[in-house]
Amino acid sequence: MKLDQKSSKMLAYFTSQMVKISKPGMVWLAIAFVFILGGLYALIVQIIEGHIVTGMRDNVVWGIFIANFIFFIGISYAGALISGILHLLRVEWRTPIIRIAEIITVISTLIGPAYILLCMGRLDRLHHLALFGRIQSPIIWDVLAITTYLIGSIIFLYLASIRDLAALRDYPFKSKWRNKVYKILAVDFNGTPKQNRYLDRSLDIMSAIIIPLAVLVHSVLAWIFGMTLRPGWHSTIFAPYFVIAAVFSGTGVLIIAMWVFRKYYKLESYITKIHFNYLGIILMILGALYAYFTFSEYLTSWYGSETWEMEVLYKLFNPNEYWWWFFFAAIIGVVLPIIVILIPKFRNINSITAVSAIAVLALWVKRYLIIIPTLEAPLLPLQDMRPEYIHYTPTLIEWLLTFAGVALFCMLFFLFSKFLPILPVVKADEGNYAQLRKTAMKRVIKRKVKETEKKESEKIKDL
Amino acid sequence: MKSLYKHILIIGLVVIIAAGNVFAQKNKKKTTRISVEYVKDHNKTETLVAKLRVKEKRYISLNDAIVKFYSVSDTSVLLDKIRTNKDGEAIFVIGDNPKIFKDSLGFMAFEVEYDGSTSLKGSNKKIAVKQSNLEVSFFQKDTIKFIEVEANEIGGNNQTSPVKGLKVLFYVKGTFSLFNFAKEKTDNKGKIKIEFPVTMPGDTNGELTIVAKVEEDDIYGTVESMGEINWGIPVPLVKEKQRGLGDTDAPLWMVYTLITLLSAVWFHYLYVIFMIIKIKLAKRSF
Amino acid sequence: MANKKNKHSRRQFFSKTVPVAIGTIGGVGLVAQSCQQANNDEEKISLLSADGQLVEVNKSALTKVPYKPVPPDEARKGIPGKHFVMVVDLARCRNARKCVKSCDHHHQLTPDRPFIKVLRMQDNKTSAPYWMPKKCFHCDNPPCVKVCPVGATYKRSDGLVLIDNERCIGCRFCMAACPYSARVFNWGEPKHQDGDRPYSPETSIPSQVGTVEKCDFCPDMLRQNKVPHCITACPNGALYFGDRNADSVTNGSETVRLSTLLKDKAGYRYHEELGTEPNVYYLPPVDRSFPFKEAPEGQPS
Ligand code: SF4
Repeated sequence: MKLDQKSSKMLAYFTSQMVKISKPGMVWLAIAFVFILGGLYALIVQIIEGHIVTGMRDNVVWGIFIANFIFFIGISYAGALISGILHLLRVEWRTPIIRIAEIITVISTLIGPAYILLCMGRLDRLHHLALFGRIQSPIIWDVLAITTYLIGSIIFLYLASIRDLAALRDYPFKSKWRNKVYKILAVDFNGTPKQNRYLDRSLDIMSAIIIPLAVLVHSVLAWIFGMTLRPGWHSTIFAPYFVIAAVFSGTGVLIIAMWVFRKYYKLESYITKIHFNYLGIILMILGALYAYFTFSEYLTSWYGSETWEMEVLYKLFNPNEYWWWFFFAAIIGVVLPIIVILIPKFRNINSITAVSAIAVLALWVKRYLIIIPTLEAPLLPLQDMRPEYIHYTPTLIEWLLTFAGVALFCMLFFLFSKFLPILPVVKADEGNYAQLRKTAMKRVIKRKVKETEKKESEKIKDL
Repeated sequence: MKSLYKHILIIGLVVIIAAGNVFAQKNKKKTTRISVEYVKDHNKTETLVAKLRVKEKRYISLNDAIVKFYSVSDTSVLLDKIRTNKDGEAIFVIGDNPKIFKDSLGFMAFEVEYDGSTSLKGSNKKIAVKQSNLEVSFFQKDTIKFIEVEANEIGGNNQTSPVKGLKVLFYVKGTFSLFNFAKEKTDNKGKIKIEFPVTMPGDTNGELTIVAKVEEDDIYGTVESMGEINWGIPVPLVKEKQRGLGDTDAPLWMVYTLITLLSAVWFHYLYVIFMIIKIKLAKRSF
Repeated sequence: MANKKNKHSRRQFFSKTVPVAIGTIGGVGLVAQSCQQANNDEEKISLLSADGQLVEVNKSALTKVPYKPVPPDEARKGIPGKHFVMVVDLARCRNARKCVKSCDHHHQLTPDRPFIKVLRMQDNKTSAPYWMPKKCFHCDNPPCVKVCPVGATYKRSDGLVLIDNERCIGCRFCMAACPYSARVFNWGEPKHQDGDRPYSPETSIPSQVGTVEKCDFCPDMLRQNKVPHCITACPNGALYFGDRNADSVTNGSETVRLSTLLKDKAGYRYHEELGTEPNVYYLPPVDRSFPFKEAPEGQPS
C-alpha cells in the first residue's frame, strides 16, 4: 500500500497508540471487567434459580432486559444510518467519524440480542426457534432481521476497514501476530484501480442496503409490541416512532463516543468542532421529530380517552408513579438537547456531548416507560395481594446484567480501538475511480458534440 | 433442633385432637343411611344400586363397606355381599339369578343391608319392583317426524302387558350429559307418541341418540331405552383454517414477502463477498 | 444438587409423618400398618373407612384404571367433531372459590399461581359489583397462538388452546399478548408436583421451570366424556360446560341448550370488541341467587 505523507503520519501515530494501553485505559478496562464479572455472577444465579430472581412476574412479564434490548438495537443505528447515509451522500466531513459509528453498530447489535436471550425462560431450547419457527410470530421476524442486520453491519465495517487493514499489514509491528492477522483480513488489497473500483462498488451497495435494513429491524422490534392488543403498544405509528427514537439515541451515543476517543487518543485535530456541530444539528432535528411522534402518540390516546389507554396514561402522568420519569424521558431529554444545540451561544463540544448523554439516558428511560406501565395495566383488574405482582422493580440481578452489558460495550469498543485505528487512516482513493468516470464522460460529450456538428452540417447542406 | 420441637409440638397437638375423636366415637355411633334403586339400562342389564352414606355434618358417601343383598319372600335369601366403591355405591347385577323370587304378579322384592361397625350404626332398606320393557322407535307421518315409545310390564308368568300412565322422560344424548326435551305419560296401549325435536344438532350425518327413561318409578324403578336416527341437523366438520396467523403454516403472502426481502438482501451480501474475492484475485492486474 | 435432594426428602418426610401420626393414634390395629406405610414411598390419601376411621390409603389403590394422558404430538389434534364452550352464570357466583380449589388440586398448583381467578368486578361506579370467575377463554382467534414463535401454544380443532411445555422457550410473548391475563409463568422451580407422571399438554402436569401455563379445560377429562373439574366443583351451578356443535351445556346437574341459554339470559363474551372470539360466555349478573358480599380480608385473588 502506498500512502501519502499525511496518512503515513497518522498511521504511525495510531499504531503507536494501538500497541500500548495507557494508565487511564487500564483503569477503564479494570472497571469494565469488574462490572462484567458482576454480570457473570448474576447470569449464573439466574440460570440456577430461574427467572424468580428477577423482578418480573405474571403481569409484568418483560422488564429491563427488553428495555436494554431495544436500547442497544437503537444505538446500533449510529453506524447504519449515519454512516450509510453520509456515505451515499458523499458528505465530506463524515470521514473521521464513520469508523466509530460502524463499530457502535456492530458491538451494540451483538450485545442487544443477548438481552433477549437473558429474558428467555428456556435458553436450552434456543434451537426450537430453528426447529419449530413460525414466521407469523414477530419474534421470528426479529431473529431473522437482526441476524441479517448484524451480518450486514459486520460486512460494512469490514469493507470500510480494508484499506486500513492493508496499510496495517504493511506496517512493521513488533509482535508478528498482528501482521499475520492483518494480512489475512486485508485480502491482498493494494489499492490498484480495479481493486478500488470493486471496493467502492461494494461499499456503495452495502451502505444502500444497510439503511432500509436498519429501518426494518427497528420496525420489526416495534411490531413485537405493536402486534399485541395492549394500550400504549397497539399503535400504528409505533414502527416509525421506534425508528426515530433509535436514530436519535444512536446519534447521541456516537457523539459521546467521539468525545471519549477524541480525549483519549488526543484527536483534536481530526475530530473538530465542526463534526460535533453537524452531528449536533442532526441530533436536534431527530429530537424534534421524536418529540413530534411522542406528542402525536400521547395526544391521540389521551384525546380518545379509552378506559384502558387512560389507565396507562394515568400511570405515566401520576406524580406518584411514573410522571417524573416521563417528564425526564419525554420532555427534558428532548427539549434540552434541542435548546442547547439550537442556540449558537450554548453550542460547544462539551455541551453537545452533555446533552447527548442526557438524551441517551432519557431514551433508555423511555424504553422502560414503554414496556412497564403498559404491562402494569392489564385489561382485567389486577387483584393480587402481592406487591411484586402489581408493581415491577428491577432486582439487583437485573441491574448487574444491565451494567455488565454497558461495560461489555465499552470494553469491546476500547479493545477494538486497539485493533483498528479509530479513524480511517487511508483516505478512500476515489481519484482513480473518478478519473475513469471523467474520461468516460468526456468521451460521451465528444460523441455528442460530433453528432450535433454533423447534424448542423447536414442542415447547412440542405439549405 | 428447632424442627424437632416443631415435630413434637405437632405430634402433641395431633394426640390431643385424635384422643378427642376417639372419645367422641365411643360415646356415640354415627348414623348411616342406605338407599337402593333398581336400574335397567339400555342394554337391558338389570342392576340394584345401593348407596351407603354416613352422617357427618352432612351425609357423605362411605366407601369400602360391605353391603348385603337379599331376595325377600317369606324368608330372605342372601344373594351377594358387595363392597362399596369410592362413591359409596355397591352394584349388584340381577341377571337370571335363580335365587331371586318373583311373585304371581311379577314383583321381585329385595333388601339391602349394612351391618355397621364399631363406630357406625347399621342400616337397611327394602324395595319391590316389577320388570318392564321400554322400546323406542321412530316414524314419519306426512312431513312430521315422531318418536314412539312403548312400555310393557312382565307379569308373574312372563307374559307382557302394556303399562298405562307411566311417566317417561325424553332426552337427547350429549357428550357429557342428557338433554331433556319432553316428558309424557303412556296412553291406554302403553304408548307415547311425541314429535321429534327437529332443531337439535346431530353429528356430521345428523345422527342423534334419543333416550327414553322411566325414572325412579315406584313399581318399575329406573328403566332406560335408546334409539339412534339421523334426523338431527347435520353439523358439518369445521374445515380447519389453513395458513392463518394462528396456524402452523403462515399465510402465503407472508412467506413470499419474507423470502423476497431476505433473498434480496442476502443476494447483495453474496455479491459483495464475491467482490471481496475479486479484490483478492485482482491484486496483480495493472 | 445433593442439598436440593435433601430438602426435598425432608419435606416429603414431614408431609407424611403428620397423617401417619393421626392414623397411629386413631386405632391400635393400625399401628403396624402405618409403620409399614412410613417406609413405603407411595403417596397416601386420607379417607373415611368403613368403620368410621380416618385411614391412609395408597393413592394408586384408589385410581383403579389410571388414565393415561395422550402424548404431546397427539394432543395437538382436537377431539373430532367437538367444539367446547363454557358458560359462566354471574348471577349464581358468590365467590365460593370451589372451582379454584378443585382446579388447583387437579393441576397440582400452589395457591399462589392459580389458573382460575375470581375477580371482583364493577363496571362503573353506579352499577353493582359482582364476582367474575375467569379462566382461559380459549379464543377462536387467539392472540397468544398468533405470536408464539415456536408453536408451543396452539389452537386445536375442538376449540381448545393448549401449551406444550416441552416446546415452550419461555419468551412470554404469549403472556404479553393475552388481553385477559390468563397465563402464568413458572418463574422458579415448580413446587409440589408429581414429577413421575408422563407429561401431556392435556394435563399440564408436570410443570417445568421457565415455561408458561394456563387453564386447559381439562382435556383428559373431556376425552373420558367428563366435564372439567371446576364445573362439578361449583356448589351453585354457576359454571356450564358443553359442546357448541351439539348445542348443549351442562353444569353437572342440569343440561340446557346453549343457544336457548344464551338467548334467554342475554349471554355475552367478555370484550367482544377485541375480536378474540372467546369460547367462554358470561350470563349477566341479574336476578342474583346471592347478594353480593365483599371478599374476606386477605383472600388471595
Ligand atoms: S412463552 Fe412459550 S408458549 Fe408463550 S409464546 Fe413463548 S414459546 Fe410460545
